[in-house]
Amino acid sequence: MTTASANRLTPYLFLAPALIVLAVALLYPICYMIYASFLDWNPSQRIGEADWVGLRNYANLLGDGAFRESLWVTIKFAAIVVTAEMVLGVGLALLLDRNIRGMSVLRTLFILPMMIAPIVVGLMWRYMYHPTVGIFNRTLDNLGLPTVPWLSDGNWAFASIIIADIWQWTPFIFILSLAALQSLPQSAIEASKIDGASGWQTILYIKLPLMAPVLIVTCLLRLIDAFKVLEVILVLTNGGPGLSTEILSLRIARTASEFRELGVAAAMSNFLLILLMVLTIAMYLYNKAAEMRAARIRAAAEETS
Amino acid sequence: MTKHMKLTFAAAVVASLGAPALADGHIPAPYQPYAGTTLVVNFPAHPHYNAAIKVLPEFTKQTGIEVEVDQLQYLKMRERQTLELTKREGDYDLISYVVFSKADYVFADQLENLARFFMNPKLADPNYDSADLIDGYVENIGLAGGEKGYLPGPTASLYGIPFGSETSVLGYRKDIFEKHGLEVPTTYDELLDLACRIPELEPEMGGLASRAASGHQASHAFLLHLNPLGGGIFDDSWEPIVNNETGVEAANALKTIVDCGIEGSQTFGPSEAAAAFAQGDYAMFLDSIAFAATFEDPSKSQVVGQVGWALHPEGVKRASQTGGFGIGIPKNAQNKEAAFLLMQWLTSKEADLMIAMEGGNPSRFSTYENAELNAKYPYAATFGEALKYADPDWRPIIPTWGKINADLGTTLSQIITEGLDVQEGLNGVAERSRAIMDDAGYYTWN
Repeated sequence: MTTASANRLTPYLFLAPALIVLAVALLYPICYMIYASFLDWNPSQRIGEADWVGLRNYANLLGDGAFRESLWVTIKFAAIVVTAEMVLGVGLALLLDRNIRGMSVLRTLFILPMMIAPIVVGLMWRYMYHPTVGIFNRTLDNLGLPTVPWLSDGNWAFASIIIADIWQWTPFIFILSLAALQSLPQSAIEASKIDGASGWQTILYIKLPLMAPVLIVTCLLRLIDAFKVLEVILVLTNGGPGLSTEILSLRIARTASEFRELGVAAAMSNFLLILLMVLTIAMYLYNKAAEMRAARIRAAAEETS
Repeated sequence: MTKHMKLTFAAAVVASLGAPALADGHIPAPYQPYAGTTLVVNFPAHPHYNAAIKVLPEFTKQTGIEVEVDQLQYLKMRERQTLELTKREGDYDLISYVVFSKADYVFADQLENLARFFMNPKLADPNYDSADLIDGYVENIGLAGGEKGYLPGPTASLYGIPFGSETSVLGYRKDIFEKHGLEVPTTYDELLDLACRIPELEPEMGGLASRAASGHQASHAFLLHLNPLGGGIFDDSWEPIVNNETGVEAANALKTIVDCGIEGSQTFGPSEAAAAFAQGDYAMFLDSIAFAATFEDPSKSQVVGQVGWALHPEGVKRASQTGGFGIGIPKNAQNKEAAFLLMQWLTSKEADLMIAMEGGNPSRFSTYENAELNAKYPYAATFGEALKYADPDWRPIIPTWGKINADLGTTLSQIITEGLDVQEGLNGVAERSRAIMDDAGYYTWN
């Protein structure tokens, strides 16, 4: 081997360990799951004993009313919670982006909900939603208002899991938005003030656009999480009443353990994976387009000046 | 792993220390070859098994065989076993399994056929008296390979022994019934009438506490009514009949019961239903005998001494639940003979009584007739009577049941909470069940 070719190989040699780790830790499980989704595999069998059924699992899923229902519930859930959390979290960050005494304590308090283990969050809310002794219905009762069937009516149960999720995850968006806000270039904000921009105008035209890259990543992270949320709903409603709160990850868990259809569960997981990948790529493309547009405007501005 | 090695080591130390004393005849001959062995068993977190764990030291004392218990919530236990049983060499020597796991484990050839142990003169106790075991339970939990594959019949054989099995009974508040001069219901008409009359007589009180939560729980509650009313999930050729007139009647019965319950009863599981009854929120409770001891425990119940028991009311016939747990030996167990000895000991007359006295569910008729037990738990006689009507064909114990059960349960929840039409809902279940059964090959011979 010549020195030149050895030199050419050196970078790959250094990359190799990372590649191997990536292949073992990431690619192998994903390929395993994709392979499993083509099998009629029940958990009493070893994977080698399972029958190959081709695309049957996927075809069956498309015709399965319960799966479609749970897909719809998941999309509805993710859209509502992420929108609400983004509005609330960014709003809170804009409100609290100032020097208040005891701010660090306040900030720690705000992020408490997301530090609590999901199972505990589920249990806590289940007691608060309790039809007779829960805090909500007791308060309503004391005020002379009619009580609410929080977890025992389909629509209310869906609202209940949304409220619990917003409570738990708004702080996540709040803390990231606040960090983004505090790292904004002060010069731009000062310039806007000198130009006579009002508070709203500063937020709309300066702060939010500058925060956009962070907000998009935050939104994406929350969206991915919202699609996979399991524990809180498992404890709160276990998918019921009916299928009203049976989100996809819960359906996957039930398919694997209750219905004992590992192949179908793997197919569902792949479905979820594809859905999330499409979302991620869409977000990424949007981000890229926005960046390019900004670059074009900048270039144009530089030319004219 | 380390935990196991440590325990085995501890057992070895105990065995070597105890060996001289044991050798001079303290241990009966059949157990001697296995003295010092450590068995690993998998039990559910369940009142019966808590009672059984209390008597295990007595087994070790009598036989020199150590027992290590791995106790899990019962649905978690099933998941764990599913993984454990597919291994080449399993960690468990004896497992407890939920009745509907019988289908999966036997079908996958993961449980030992018990015949070869009962045929072995060195292992089988001639005084075991298998005729004393409650037949409904043995047929339901132990036998496989007979009629319809999961029922007794000339081709059936034994894969497990009932241990922690249960049936359904009606609990009622003696004080409330006396106050309003009510009769204990013996038929379904009386039961349903009372279930809705009680909230009128006693405001704030529900009629009959029942499971209803979406999925398995709602389906279980429906089966409680479907069987006595004379219905079934399938006919003899596996065609779904869940949507016939009787099915609709049973679903309506469930809906009536939940509608006449307290707020939030639409999401009750068995423990919530039992807790509500124990808190005095209900006048009646129709579910497993396993909860009876809880109602007499002052730390958990406000109705101690007020609960009377009666047979599960009659529809067109008496058919109370068969369910709960059995114990079996995994095919991949490492100490099968010793595990059989433990299994035989736990279900012997002596141990069955000991466990029952600790609050467990007996597996033997003779235990229910025992005077001592009846003195401690006055309801034992009623429960013994209820067992005569325990229906071994209470639910189809077939591998596809998990999926059908879940679908039936979610549909029933939609009927209860979202006002889905009963007939329309059950028609949907029947249609989907037929597709599932067709897929699994149940119509191959038609």
